[in-house]
Amino acid sequence: MMENSVYEYATLEEYGYKERKYLKLIWKIVKIVLLVFSIFMLYFSIIIIAIQSFNSSASTTEFASFTFKNYLQMFSKRSLNDAILNTFKTSILATLIATVLGTFIAVGIYYLPPKVKSRIMLLNNIPLLNADIVTGVSLMLIFSLFLPIYKHLFGFWTILFAHIYFILPYIVLSVLPKMKEIDPNLLDASLDLGVKPVRSVTRVIIPAIKGGIFSGMVLAFTISFEDFVVGYFTTGNGYNTLSIWIYSSIGRKSLFPGVYAFSTALTILMILIIVVYNLIKGRKKHEKKIR
Amino acid sequence: MFDEGGWLMQKNGTNLIPPSHSSHRLDKMAKPYLYWLYIFACLPMLIMFCLMFVDTEGIRFEGLEFTFSNFSILIQRSTLIAFFNSVKYSVLTTLICIFFGYLIAYSLYQSKFKNKYLILLLLILPMWTNVLLRINALASVFKENNILSDIFHIRGLNIIGTDLAIILGMVFTYLPFIVLPIYTSLEKIDPSLHEAALDLGVTEFTKFWKVIVPLSLRGVLSGSIMVLLPCLSGFAIPKVLGEGNILLIGNIIEQSFIDMSYNLGSVLAVVLLIVILGSILLVNKFDKEGETLL
Repeated sequence: MMENSVYEYATLEEYGYKERKYLKLIWKIVKIVLLVFSIFMLYFSIIIIAIQSFNSSASTTEFASFTFKNYLQMFSKRSLNDAILNTFKTSILATLIATVLGTFIAVGIYYLPPKVKSRIMLLNNIPLLNADIVTGVSLMLIFSLFLPIYKHLFGFWTILFAHIYFILPYIVLSVLPKMKEIDPNLLDASLDLGVKPVRSVTRVIIPAIKGGIFSGMVLAFTISFEDFVVGYFTTGNGYNTLSIWIYSSIGRKSLFPGVYAFSTALTILMILIIVVYNLIKGRKKHEKKIR
Repeated sequence: MFDEGGWLMQKNGTNLIPPSHSSHRLDKMAKPYLYWLYIFACLPMLIMFCLMFVDTEGIRFEGLEFTFSNFSILIQRSTLIAFFNSVKYSVLTTLICIFFGYLIAYSLYQSKFKNKYLILLLLILPMWTNVLLRINALASVFKENNILSDIFHIRGLNIIGTDLAIILGMVFTYLPFIVLPIYTSLEKIDPSLHEAALDLGVTEFTKFWKVIVPLSLRGVLSGSIMVLLPCLSGFAIPKVLGEGNILLIGNIIEQSFIDMSYNLGSVLAVVLLIVILGSILLVNKFDKEGETLL
């Protein structure tokens, strides 16, 4: 009769496996704490702004009482209204123009010979990565060259132009990867069928890359809306955007509390838009599945 | 390469003809952009370079005089301190941001959320509040008597005007900038590599350190530069959070251009530009198509 167990089974420990139960647990806890802390870092300042927006006192040192007064008086200061309006005007216009130009540029870049392509991609990074202050000063210098021709150049048009300049690379960079994903036969097919190249771009390529165009547009608008430094150097003639208005208010140490309410309202609006958009998208996907 | 009929074959749906070898000349649409970039990105650098060597008032070109005197600003004590401060704060901020940014991006990457795009959008949500307003809010709570201490009846930190305030301000402001590039580079990692690494018997930590980290370094590099450069050149954060005690190089450049001394400003801006162009070349080397920059 054979003995039942000639060899003992080797345990995991004998293979060099170490059970680091406690270490893993500690790391898990540390990780959660650190994660909560980093999320706290992201949202800390907007939470403070939200608290401030419900403060009945304009002072930032005390919370007098809870109130909606700031929301009701949000648009009661003319200079702030102008600044908000100007910001929306420049950002929306700049984004629309840059989206149209950037899309055609990105399609063009895709078909460039590799050498020119790599040069244009390198130059495309300059507006994107350049320090805001250098971009602002650079554009100011360029615009100053035109001052002898037209004295009141600085203002809306210079800011608009500067914004188009520095948001174009974002559109280009978000459209270009989408160009690689589309079927190259699509364009060839449309050309073979006798469609003119420009028309096939608008009718065939653009519908195929619209996801990239849209995400580039959202990003470009965010960047343009957020900008302070470039606008600061290219503005003139008392033309204020929201950032410049806030900067000069901080300098004067008199910040109108309505701006806290405006910011908080905008943030809440953005959350709502994001959530509703995702709900609708989710439902559409769900419907497709059922069919 | 060719089939019987002489047609170009397609391998895995990819075209063997490079996109540039086409008959439609759509590449013409990109040409004006090249000249646009030459004019608005390169020409100003040239102008600034010339402004370094002359003595002008504003940008008038009457009575130009060739001079090296502008460079004396580089050895002034305040400039040297400002340079040192800029480098110190930006490097420290970047290191802190890499740590926390990686943590956020990696946790999101590992998480089982169905809609990660939604989370990413929520991460950049603070960017919808004006950056100056956020900095100002931070400045208000960095004072001893602030709104939080009033609500919770505790004593405030009173760190305004110190190194800590500026570094915290920079981290709080620029952290979202680094999360996106790292997350993008993590998403590009082939998921089968995870299984391959674990199949070959490495521990979770070794897998992370030897497989995931090297493959995401591109995103870390892009993200670091997107944090480093604004920190290095910014002037609003030190102005508001430093309460005038701490000058960075951005403050001196801003002051020079506001005071119409374009020559001195150009000297400092060109020094900054050298760092920036170096970073742009670095990013371009590792990421030719700029995939991790968004």
